[in-house]
Amino acid sequence: MEEKIDSDSDWNYNFYQDLIDDINENRNLIQCISCGRCTGDCPAAKISNFNPRKIVERVLKGDKCVLRDSDIWYCFLCERCKRVCPKDKINIPLLIINLRNESFKKGFGPRYTDLRKYVEMAERFLTNGTVLETPLGEPLPEERVDELNEICNFARIKYVFKASKIKEKKQKK
Amino acid sequence: MDLDNLAMDLEEINHVYKENPLDYFKNKKLCLFKACLEKFFPGVRWGIEDLLLALELDVTTCKSQSCCSGTFFQRNLITRAQFAAINERNLNEIDHQADILLFPCNGCYNSLLRGRDILKDEGVREKTQEILKGLESKAIGESYPGKYKILNNPKLRLIHDLDFLFLIKDEVVKSLKYDLKSLKVAVHYGCHYLNLARDKKNAIDYVKNKNKLEDLVTLFGGLPVDYKEKESCCGWGASQIVLHPKEALKITLNKLKSAENVGADFLLTPCPTCLYTLSKPEYIEKIKKYFGEKIEIPTIHLNELIAILRGCEEERCITLRRKTPRLEEIYDIITRDS
Repeated sequence: MEEKIDSDSDWNYNFYQDLIDDINENRNLIQCISCGRCTGDCPAAKISNFNPRKIVERVLKGDKCVLRDSDIWYCFLCERCKRVCPKDKINIPLLIINLRNESFKKGFGPRYTDLRKYVEMAERFLTNGTVLETPLGEPLPEERVDELNEICNFARIKYVFKASKIKEKKQKK
Repeated sequence: MDLDNLAMDLEEINHVYKENPLDYFKNKKLCLFKACLEKFFPGVRWGIEDLLLALELDVTTCKSQSCCSGTFFQRNLITRAQFAAINERNLNEIDHQADILLFPCNGCYNSLLRGRDILKDEGVREKTQEILKGLESKAIGESYPGKYKILNNPKLRLIHDLDFLFLIKDEVVKSLKYDLKSLKVAVHYGCHYLNLARDKKNAIDYVKNKNKLEDLVTLFGGLPVDYKEKESCCGWGASQIVLHPKEALKITLNKLKSAENVGADFLLTPCPTCLYTLSKPEYIEKIKKYFGEKIEIPTIHLNELIAILRGCEEERCITLRRKTPRLEEIYDIITRDS
């Protein structure tokens, strides 16, 4: 059987360019030799359809559908792929964070209210400075908590936090 | 701006203080980073704190430290600049009061190193500085020079508890009351220790640091055992265990089963997140429900093990709530007078 060889028209770097406009370090993805070591050693690949080698290939081919796939949400961010990759500067966990970011922006990511665990943790972090129900030892001084709130302005963590408040109000009604 | 890695140069300490690396830490101020999961495992903090005090070192915690926020960064709930700003805020506060920051958790250690690494990107650095400047202009809280700036060439150095304990291993061994009585130990480093960014162009650097837990186990009188899933993830996977429990627990099961299959008495880890995943009764129950496998092998944090070996009160080493008959048995074997 004749092997299909990619032609130049199979590759479109617009998507890749968009991603590196956001995170420049992902420029190094172009060095990928598609050896598959990342996927062979990946815990998420063992239990889901997550396949980092294919994700890199799809990004380099300009396949934006990767943002709709649930696969990118299965990454363990364990950084094993980064360690075993024969190339020096390819950072797949950073690419996944990059893709998840784009996915969120386009409204394909998980809904904030679905991130129940994060709603609780975000609320605690923005009110106590810790993800715990009760702080370890002395609580964080109030002005320090204010600093964290200021740092997190306009971040998704705030929307997650707000989503919890809206849900609470609805439940009270 | 010097944005060099803040990780402590272990080789230099070993070289300069070859007689006794503990001397490097004397007359220095040490601070213990508060990891959120210490709440469930108080022995993780207490184990190291009590040892440091026994070694007459100056040790504190920082009351202005917040959580490392790694979990929010990993779920894209904060930006890279916000993550870096939270880190810089913590580093500034701790640099103000200490020379050395010790980490009992792979996640926190990785977060602070990564936060610093992210700042190498000029765009992120500018945004981070802008965020910190915003805090200054709002004059929130007590200020001191440099508080709202990215730390430039700070004195503060970061070290993981495992690296620290390995560095002063002779002193640790001297402080022990019991030994491991040839118990078989399966070590689990945890991804964020094992896969920390390494210099791939330096072959020695790339392969080093993988035997510290095994070496400590041997020094403590135990037998480190090799097992197939030694380098695999515990299953936590940046909250995958919460989001996709059935899939993630398969990874946990593989790990625990693999250690049981080679006859290990317990797993030893330097990370409370891995400890949480590998030992939470709810997860062990779910494994039984999903896969029909009964797992009994317990997991112990390195700091807890040192507390047990030093003969500290049982209650302070291992919390009652996670006690299992197997853990109880191991505790009894270790603390039995030989």
